[in-house]
Formats: sequence, C-alpha cells, structure tokens
Amino acid sequence: MLASLAWRNLWRQKTRTIISMISMGFASLLLVFMLSLQIGSYDTMKTGTLRLQDGFAQVQPPGYADDPDISNLIEDPAPIIAELKAVEGIAEAAPRAGTFVILANGETSYGAAVLGIAPESEVNVSTLGAALGQGRYLEPGDTDAIYLGETLARNLGLAVGDRVSLLGSGADRSVAADSLEIVGLFRTGVPQIDRQLAQMPLDRFQETFALQGEVNVIALSGKRLADVNRALPELRRIAAAHGLVVRDWAELQPALKQAIALDVSTSAAIYLSLVAVVTFIILNTLYMSVLERTREFGILLALGMKPGAIGRMMWLELILLAALGCASGVALGAPLVLWFQQHGIPVPGMENIMAQFGLPSRIYPSLDPISASAGPLAILASVALGGLVPCLRIRRLHPVSAMRAA
Amino acid sequence: MCPERAGTRNRIARGQPEGALRERSPLVSCRGLIKTYVQGAIEVPALRGVDLDLARGDFATLAGPSGSGKTTLLNMIGGLDRPSAGDVVLDGRNLATLGKAELAELRLHRIGFVFQSYNLIPVLSALENVEFILRLQGIAPRERRQRALEALADVGLEGLEGRRPAHLSGGQQQRVAVARALVGRPAIVLADEPTANLDTRNAEELIELMAALNARLGTTFLMGTHDARVIARAQRHIELTDGRISSDETRPAG
Repeated sequence: MLASLAWRNLWRQKTRTIISMISMGFASLLLVFMLSLQIGSYDTMKTGTLRLQDGFAQVQPPGYADDPDISNLIEDPAPIIAELKAVEGIAEAAPRAGTFVILANGETSYGAAVLGIAPESEVNVSTLGAALGQGRYLEPGDTDAIYLGETLARNLGLAVGDRVSLLGSGADRSVAADSLEIVGLFRTGVPQIDRQLAQMPLDRFQETFALQGEVNVIALSGKRLADVNRALPELRRIAAAHGLVVRDWAELQPALKQAIALDVSTSAAIYLSLVAVVTFIILNTLYMSVLERTREFGILLALGMKPGAIGRMMWLELILLAALGCASGVALGAPLVLWFQQHGIPVPGMENIMAQFGLPSRIYPSLDPISASAGPLAILASVALGGLVPCLRIRRLHPVSAMRAA
Repeated sequence: MCPERAGTRNRIARGQPEGALRERSPLVSCRGLIKTYVQGAIEVPALRGVDLDLARGDFATLAGPSGSGKTTLLNMIGGLDRPSAGDVVLDGRNLATLGKAELAELRLHRIGFVFQSYNLIPVLSALENVEFILRLQGIAPRERRQRALEALADVGLEGLEGRRPAHLSGGQQQRVAVARALVGRPAIVLADEPTANLDTRNAEELIELMAALNARLGTTFLMGTHDARVIARAQRHIELTDGRISSDETRPAG
C-alpha cells in the first residue's frame, strides 16, 4: 500500500518531480560518463604502457626486480612457458634475457639496455615491433640482427644496414662482445626507450652473453590486462613451484600505479562534491514537500495511520524519485558511453604527449558494471541516507498541531 | 461521582459479565477534563472541567461560540490530543493510559473522523479513499473492496467509485468522508463542522444521511457544529461556553 501511495504522491507535483529527476539523471549521466572515461583512460594508459615493453605481468627469479643482473636466471624456461601458456587468460609467454651494454660505432659509444627476444612470441607481448620507424622488425631465424631505438641509432651515427658493436659482460662475468647488423629502427615517442633500448635474437644473445638456454624473465600477455590479472593466482602457483615469482602490472609500473591512485583520489573529491550537491538539492525539495504536506500528515495520523508508516511512505517517495532519476541517467549515459567506447574521443593537440606514454591519440571510455553503477548508486545511497532525517522527523508529528499547519 | 460510573462499579461488584457491563456503560466518559494551551508565557484555557457521557447510539451535537472548546473536546475524545487534567474513557479504555501507537490503533479501529474540509487523499479514488482505512486495518483485499463498495453505496455514491476527490463536488467529497469514517465499523464518529463547507442542499442531505446511518448502524455520532439544521436534527444537544458545558439536552428521537 505504501509503495503505491508513494508512487502516486510522486506525481502530484509533476513539474517538481520531473525537475528533480532531471537533476539526478543528469548527475548520474555525468558520473557514468566521467567514471567510464576515467576507467577507460586508465585501461588505455596501463595497456599502452605495459604493451610497449613490460607485458601485462612477468615471471622472474626472486630478487630480479631489485637486482636485474644477467646472472639472475630462469633455468630451463621451456616447460615453464608451456605451463604458463596453458593458464586461462594467458595468450603468450615470451622469454627474454637482458643486460646493459655499451653500443659503439667507431669512437662513438652509448650505454643501452639490450634484450634478447624470441620474435615469434615477442610480437604477441610487446608493441615495440609495431613502432617500426625504418627497416623491419626482428624475425624468427634472424641471427645477425639488432633492432634499435631511432634516437640511439642517430646518436651513434648509424642507419639501417649498418653494423653496431656491442660490449658487455656475460653471465659468467666474462667479457661479451659482438657486432650486429641493424635491421630496423623503432620510434615509440618515449624518449627514454628510443635512446636506450635495443633488441636482438634470443639465441644470439645467449651465445654472446654466455647463457646456456637460460632467460631472465618471461613476459606474459593476454587479450586484456584484466584477463591476466584474473589469472595471477594460478600464475603465482606455477611460478612458486619453479622457485620463481610473478610481478603484476602495478609492480612493473609502480609510477603509473601511483599516478592513477593520485588521479583517483582527486577525481573522487569532484565526484563526491557532485553527489553532495545533488543530494542537497533533492533533500531541499523533500523538506519543502514535508512542510507543504504537514497538514495532510496530521489527517493521516488522525485516521489511525502510524507515524512510522507515514515516514516510510515519504522515504519510499524519495527512493522512487532517486531510483527513477538515477535509472534515467544510466539509461541515457550507457549508450552514450558505448558509442564513444567504439569511436573514441579525440584529444586535439595532445597526440605527442599521448604518444610519449605509448597511448593512442583518442581516449576510449570503458563501460563496465562499476562505471555504470557506482555514481548512480552513490547518489541513491546518499539521498536515501539524507532522506532519513526529514522522514524520521515525521515520526515526531503531533496530529493536532500537524492538522493546524497551513 | 457520576451516576453511570457508580452504577458500573455496583454492577461489577455483583459479578456481571464484563461484555454486558460494557454494553450498558457509556461509550464515552469524560471526567474533569481540563485543557490549557501554553503560548509562550500565556496560558489559554480551552476546557475548564468538562464532565460528559455519551451513550452508544447517541446522535449528538456539540455547539458553542468560537473558542468555546468544541474542537478541543472532540480532539480529546478522539485521542488526538491529551488533556492537561482529567480522564477520557472510550469504549472502556482510559486514553491517558495509552501510548502514541495504541492511540493510533484505537483511532483506526474505534473512531471515525469527518472533517470540515473533507480531507480525502487526493491521489486516491473515492473507493480507494474508503478502502484506505480497511487497508490500515489489515482487511483482506476482497472483503475490503466489498465493504468499501457497500459504504459508498450507503452514502449514495454508486457509480462514482473511480473518481478522484478533485472530480467530485464538495457534497460528494463529504459523503466519501462519511463512508470512510464508517467503513471501519467504529464505535463513534466525530465530525467537526461537517456541513460548514457545503451549500444548503448538500448540507441537508448530509445531515439526513448521517442521521439515517446512525439509526441503521447504531453508530454514535458527535458533531461539533454551528449549523442550526444539524442541531435541530440531533437527539441530543450539548452547548459549550468558555470551556464548560452550559447545557445538555436530550430530545425524543425522530
């Protein structure tokens, strides 16, 4: 009975109800869109950054993160790779070995990080091959080949087809030296990578740096970062069985994690302010309604309706109003977000900055259950909670004084 | 000591069944009723010691000049307000001993109200307004609908059940209010200026209607009114002056 009465009461003041609904609907729509945009941009940032180099997670020897030394090794990686690739959500497991070397061209030399990679699996983990500026990416079967950052090559005064000398120390602390032909140059837009990174075939790397088939890390990828995150417990179990550890995206990119956390906290303040403003507007409307209907409440009390029931009826009116407003916001916001999720939102003039972080020039919002519901639910909860105060005040009404109210 | 109260005590002493005693005891008994409103530092006496008994089936009017205490007395009897001193016993229950929720229950089941300005729920149809009381009483839907339809038929509103108050005339709205007051089968109907907002024809029709329902159902009516037509139709007329009963006359029925 209360629900049906509350529903009808809601439409006594149609204009006021519709205005209240619009304000809550607009706020809900805004929150759905902003949260989706935020989550989408985080996904883009994480995916872009991780795909460029690290992969979505890595299996490493314990302590490798603090001491990324070439002698910190995964022995016999092949069976581990096979196990990892069998885990649901894992699309690829790419073996890598890496160290720091001096790259030289005659008298000119620069320090660089060189990675030994298996091109056939690396292309499924890293987008570095797609950042090709000149020449070609490494291919399976390559032996005498190196793929350099464009800036590094320019600094060395080298181009595609030239040879570059490489000098470092092997896993056995012996001097490791080699000379390789530059087959391609990459341009990621990230200055640090473009001037300090090189990739070479894993077999050649192992030969040059005195490795016996060992690698330093196994980089993992999946269709989406979330798939790999879901697989983490199983990955950790497998890694532990081999005396290894798994580092997730946040451990691989702690700065990115901190940047996101900072952005979440600042944007949360904005969202909470928006929710608070809408709540106050709605509660103000509720207070007006309670004042206007005090006499009516007095009559209901006189007829024998209990004060608590009248309070519950008012609260139900408020909940229905808030639910309608929020639902309309989601109903309008979700298709809008889905459209932009497909087409992206261009960020004019930001292309270069975005590229520096390995990001596309468009931002793609991401509609998920959280982005679709968190904002509207926050409004609903806030209004429901705030509405308890005037509704509880109704319980204190005295029939005679209420009936005397204008 | 009032004779009725003394008589009741004697009958209890002789061991008569309580139900029978209740039937014979007055439906409403007010003793030493005082109500003083405090407005800041000023005390405004509204009732100055009212003793009143209403028997079951009374069709009584309560009249008096403005400020004489009619509405205050109706509110006290209806359990809407509490006296500053004195007791109201309704249907054997001393209202002073009842809490807020118990008073609400008592109003719901034993008292019907008719107000000057009808006070129907605007979002409900005539039928739903009448059903509302039965819903509060927890009556099953089928019985509720049947009783509400009968109550509306009793007040001559067949065919208008689906109309909302805004689409009914003042007279029709007050009839719905009477049906609402009676549908819960109360012991007493308290009506405060029930004809004040009605034109002559509607007022006369309403008076006849209430008198007929009183005669047929035996429900007690106490009406606060200035309307001479209502007073003339009543079997009992109580006059209040300055918060005291200045006259109380009973006329032969008819």
